[in-house]
Amino acid sequence: MSASEIAAAKQLIESHGLSFEPGFDNLVGIYEQGELVAVGARAGNVLKMLAVEAEYQGGSLLGEIVTLLVSRGYDAGLDSLFVYTKPEYAGSFQALNFKLLATQAKVALLEYGNGLKKWLAAQSALIKPGCNGAVVMNCNPFTLGHRYLVETAAQQVDNLYLFVVREERSVFPFAVRMRLVKEGVRDIGNVIVLDTGHYLISSATFPTYFLKKDDPVARIQMELDVTLFASRIAPFFGIVRRFVGSEPLCQMTRAYNDTLRELLPAYGIALVEIERKEAISEVISASRVRDLLAHQQLKQLQNHVPASTLAFLGSDEAAPIRRQLEGPPA
Amino acid sequence: MKICKKGQAGTVQSSDLMVTVEPADALIIEIESTVKKQFEHLIRAKLEQVLAKHGTVSGRISISDRGALDYAIEARLETALQRAGGM
Repeated sequence: MSASEIAAAKQLIESHGLSFEPGFDNLVGIYEQGELVAVGARAGNVLKMLAVEAEYQGGSLLGEIVTLLVSRGYDAGLDSLFVYTKPEYAGSFQALNFKLLATQAKVALLEYGNGLKKWLAAQSALIKPGCNGAVVMNCNPFTLGHRYLVETAAQQVDNLYLFVVREERSVFPFAVRMRLVKEGVRDIGNVIVLDTGHYLISSATFPTYFLKKDDPVARIQMELDVTLFASRIAPFFGIVRRFVGSEPLCQMTRAYNDTLRELLPAYGIALVEIERKEAISEVISASRVRDLLAHQQLKQLQNHVPASTLAFLGSDEAAPIRRQLEGPPA
Repeated sequence: MKICKKGQAGTVQSSDLMVTVEPADALIIEIESTVKKQFEHLIRAKLEQVLAKHGTVSGRISISDRGALDYAIEARLETALQRAGGM
């Protein structure tokens, strides 16, 4: 793709009050008599920056762009594709068989295909009656802090759904994080471990969380994520309480907790904030665990992680993760 | 025709449909359509007829339809099947 083609795409996108975001797998466009009249991009399973020149709107161009992007996403092996757009454009995508997942004042999230419904149907064996709670955790890796939060929360509900973030944005791969969580909570009878699919804190619903970009965009994304959880996922599992750890360190997580506190009550869900557990003299956190690993202070780790995680951290299997954390040799 | 891998055909345009097929143990047909209420049974019958014609007895067949007519349904499904059969 030439620089002038990208410049034309950027201009068309910006003329629609959207901003051009570099970072995509495909950028497709349609030209009419040498002029770029429609554009769209795909970044992973997110379609973005779709724009059609004003005088061509209402025709078939949006469909052509979406067809191109969906086909490429399908070729890349993706089973679900999402689009974030202004709420007033949701209807244009619904007409193309996109399903509306959640809306916020400034943004609508839609999915191509019936992914959410299928994902929920696949979890239906896990539905348990009662007053249920939920925690959502990345667990990078599973620590005594996570363990404490889960244990405390599990005592307050009939069943606790523990959603492990599926998104691969962490040093510890999803399969490892999932395994350490399962091993770490195995003895707590009423905990049900599952993953978030594409529908909780993942780049599909919440990309700014990982980017640490503390601007209104983050706030909007957080509200959208909480709305999706509260309106579509919680009712399916009978979840009436959401548990979070108090957040003394990370501003982003604290803002997310504030968003939960504001929005959940309208959906009949209570937010329960649990004080973080401290090890000897410092708060336990997964980032502290990664620090200790990076500095090869394996001895101190036992104050921070349960035996199952500790065994993994010292294993041969974890060698690549340790090397990655230690960084290149000086 | 056996579905050996994923296959896709069609567009999201009006009067067309997007068909995706992939291997599965049983025959599963999933229909999304803007005219589902009125025509789901006819769309399903057409899909089943085309599948039977090609001897496809298992696979997940998903369609996202925007009011395609019978011949379009047949053409798109056949193309997706061919792409999935490694022909």
